[in-house]
Amino acid sequence: MSLAADSPVPSSSSDDLAAFLDAELDTASDASAGREEVAKVEESDVGDEGDYDLDLKRVKRCKVELSEGIINLQSSSSQEESAEVSGGSSSPKNTMCPHPGVYAGMCMKCGQKVDDETGVPFGYIHKNLRLANDEVARLRDKDLKNLLRHRKLYLVLDLDHTLLNSSRLADITAEEGYLHDQRDALPDTLKSSLFRLGWMHMMTKLRPFVHTFLKEASNLFEMYIYTMGERPYALEMAKLLDPGDIYFNSRIIAQGDCTTRHQKGLDVVLGQESAVLILDDTEAVWGKHKENLILMERYHFFASSCKHFGFNCKSLSELRSDESETDGQLATVLKILQRVHSLFFDEGRKDDLEDQDVRQVLKTVRKEVLRDCKIVFTHVFPTNFPAEHHQLWKMAEQLGATCSTKLDASVTHVVSMDAGTDKSRWAVQEKKFLVHPRWIEASNYLWQKQPEENFPVTPANSK
Amino acid sequence: MFFHIVLERNMQLHPRHFGRDLRDKLVAKLMKDVEGTCSGRHGFIVAITGIESVGKGLIRDGTGFVTFPVKYNCVVFRPFKGEILEAVVTMVNKMGFFAEAGPVQIFVSNHLIPDDMEFQSGDMPNYTTSDGSVKIQKDSEVRLKIIGTRVDATEIFCIGTIKDDFLGVISDPGATS
Repeated sequence: MSLAADSPVPSSSSDDLAAFLDAELDTASDASAGREEVAKVEESDVGDEGDYDLDLKRVKRCKVELSEGIINLQSSSSQEESAEVSGGSSSPKNTMCPHPGVYAGMCMKCGQKVDDETGVPFGYIHKNLRLANDEVARLRDKDLKNLLRHRKLYLVLDLDHTLLNSSRLADITAEEGYLHDQRDALPDTLKSSLFRLGWMHMMTKLRPFVHTFLKEASNLFEMYIYTMGERPYALEMAKLLDPGDIYFNSRIIAQGDCTTRHQKGLDVVLGQESAVLILDDTEAVWGKHKENLILMERYHFFASSCKHFGFNCKSLSELRSDESETDGQLATVLKILQRVHSLFFDEGRKDDLEDQDVRQVLKTVRKEVLRDCKIVFTHVFPTNFPAEHHQLWKMAEQLGATCSTKLDASVTHVVSMDAGTDKSRWAVQEKKFLVHPRWIEASNYLWQKQPEENFPVTPANSK
Repeated sequence: MFFHIVLERNMQLHPRHFGRDLRDKLVAKLMKDVEGTCSGRHGFIVAITGIESVGKGLIRDGTGFVTFPVKYNCVVFRPFKGEILEAVVTMVNKMGFFAEAGPVQIFVSNHLIPDDMEFQSGDMPNYTTSDGSVKIQKDSEVRLKIIGTRVDATEIFCIGTIKDDFLGVISDPGATS
């Protein structure tokens, strides 16, 4: 590289050149004389007119205005065409382009600058992408047809406590120290699902069965990750769960993409709500979409996770054990998902598939869990509280049971927290099932009526 | 489009570099600072080809730093509206695809992809014609026309189309599905 000033230099300064080119190629001013050269090249390309869309019309219109000063090389047929177009409105693209989406401030369809903030930002696909509401609806429809043809639905997965459990390195207790101190001594199953992310100061444990779950689910669903964690965390976890980048691709939604603070929503998911199922451990964040939600039991591997939720027991890591692989929550949920999927696609005929609603199917499956049970509650709700509004009552009804406040012969279960109440004693007397409220919750999580003997009620004083 | 232009920049040099190799150090610093950056006006500065002149240094009051105005020749890349480029596809999704032509990223929305090409999801999401003859997937090369550019302080974004004549896939990546 020579330091001497001998290199050939154009006479015009760089600023002038850039400004000159800007002015020339700016289509805001259509009939600028300097475009002769550009137009000449384009003219020779005008062969037989094929189908016209807006873009082609625009180009031809500009050429018409220029041809006044240039020798006309066009054939007579194209001249007629251009005359017809130039008689039209002044700037077709301005009035007719619906601006379906905005990428970096420009309309995706016509390239014009669009400055409005309407529509939904899709930051997880690209940080500068926004789509108008109409476009989102159109894409959803189109995509639904496509997916239904492939017999797939949408599945939105939460990360923390659903598919994995993470803990900050600083929160690892002494009893858990064996996880990183004696890493080589760990059994293989543990080693392959336990990851240490030094640069994020975290340790992550994947839930047992998660790889099989993802593989099976990907045959039936198009999957999204939707987490309240931050984007870098979400991307790291996706790398652990999906090293081949086949399950999630660009469908990873993080906290920054939520349109409402502290709430997750299906507005950023490009799928029709009637075909989306959600797997999450928290119900509260899905305010508007509770019907699509399958609630998961939380996965607490690390001690810090247990403490965070107020449990004073030892965590799975401290007990050196883990959730069962073949019998755990993920395996159960997979069976439910397969059931819902097969019900959705087998019940509806091919034409009506779009009218099927996965939420209805989910309700039907849920109602089978505690079918034929009639439940009376005692000593569970606070006094003067309208029983029908209690969460447990509603949960039992969703599971297909009938709830009542009066005892009679058709009652099958009495749910109680104290074995000493009248109703509890009546149950024992009449040989009805006397169970703890946890029986209902367990049935909810495991999608199966639990054996009543596992949930006895102690005759102690009320808790 | 590529241009070879003269740009000027004020380089600040710390006194510890003064001495025999002053000019070399100045040039090295210039290259480190400027190559690979993007200015809204000129585009991406791809490479410095030569130094035209180095002006007299001015000592700044208060610090010992000296400011040299340096005129240098460089190759810049700046996309323009209406330009036709070849690009490599980096990501395909249901809204369109992203392609890269050197340092600039171009988005082609599905409105500007020919109507006979449909999106297929799967391991390798792609756009394919109904008879399967033409396929756009990751690492395909496409020829596209830029219909809009937006210049940030440090980045340039473009919207492109492949709906016109002679635009579209140039070559498929080696592996076929």
